[in-house]
Amino acid sequence: MRWILAASVFLLMALVGHIAVLTAIPSLIMGKAHDRMEAQGAGMYRWVASPRMTPQTQTVVRPSPDLSYAICRFDLADGPVLLEAPLSEAYGSLSIFDDRTNNVFVASLQEGSAFNGVIVHAPGDVPDAGGRETLALGGRGLALIRRLSPDEASHGQAAELAAASVCAPFPAR
Amino acid sequence: MRFLLPLFIAGIFGLAAGGASALWAGGMLKSGPRMGNGVVIDGWTSDWSIGSTSANPYVRARIARNGLLALRKEEAVYFTRSRDEEGRRLDEACIYRISGGAMPSQWWSITLYDGDSRLPMNEDDALSFDANDAESQADPENWSFRISSEPNGQPGSLWVSSRSAGQFDVTLRLYLPSEALLADPGATLIPPRIERLFCEGEG
Repeated sequence: MRWILAASVFLLMALVGHIAVLTAIPSLIMGKAHDRMEAQGAGMYRWVASPRMTPQTQTVVRPSPDLSYAICRFDLADGPVLLEAPLSEAYGSLSIFDDRTNNVFVASLQEGSAFNGVIVHAPGDVPDAGGRETLALGGRGLALIRRLSPDEASHGQAAELAAASVCAPFPAR
Repeated sequence: MRFLLPLFIAGIFGLAAGGASALWAGGMLKSGPRMGNGVVIDGWTSDWSIGSTSANPYVRARIARNGLLALRKEEAVYFTRSRDEEGRRLDEACIYRISGGAMPSQWWSITLYDGDSRLPMNEDDALSFDANDAESQADPENWSFRISSEPNGQPGSLWVSSRSAGQFDVTLRLYLPSEALLADPGATLIPPRIERLFCEGEG
């Protein structure tokens, strides 16, 4: 009887441990990614363009050396955030990831796209978006712009477009 | 007390076993099962759950570890292969010829990654081959390039460096894939061939 009870406790706790660790993995990895980006100078509420991706500059697994990246970190506990980025001829996209690594939003930045900015806000904290798209999200978020730039010249153009992009509290505070 | 001690120990071991099995199943360890919306075409594997919020918790954990900030399949799909066409592991000690034709996407590239899913730590500035490189060849729909740890000695020839990669894999990225590819990948994609030409130590 005692061994049956011990085996039952083992199985129950194994299930608890399995679910707890599995559930925590994405948040832990995203938290570490935020910490690593912050340590490398990627502050909050501003687009930070990555240097051209090389073995020496890579910060995430399996980076694409064909793309230019710009990252903006934000925390919706501080209020809504406005994200804008110019369109261009080459392939590009703006993606938003929640604090569990889910890709919750993507918009094309290629000419012809209807994208004119998105306002991200905490659930229940809906701002007057002025006709822009809105997205409800909890906690910290991360926005990522990718632009096709397989050579040095196009990488420079992507960096200029990142400088012309907006990641700021909304309305401006 | 003598009755409670075995239960306490069983609980501790249970927690540890459950946590370890989650790390394994979630891909945190070197090995682990593949789960999710897998697509395999001639040895090139892809997981089209990537970027999806509907991915099950095992797939989400694996993607967080191996494909953080990945795009949804409508934006880009990724196919990876770690063996040549005869099933041997790709290795820095060998020279390979990669060849293919037109790809069902607006733009594409092939990039080499080491065993830790990182760009190999070298300064050869030869990390990938892409659609622009294919366009520069005599017949863009019948392109080829080499993977080796040294340039092959022909000025201007296209190569991707495997220096410092050890055992590696290659990832084919298809940006803005065609609707036909998303609907029926097996019938639409003719993936690149990977031929092993020579290995160090071979006569």
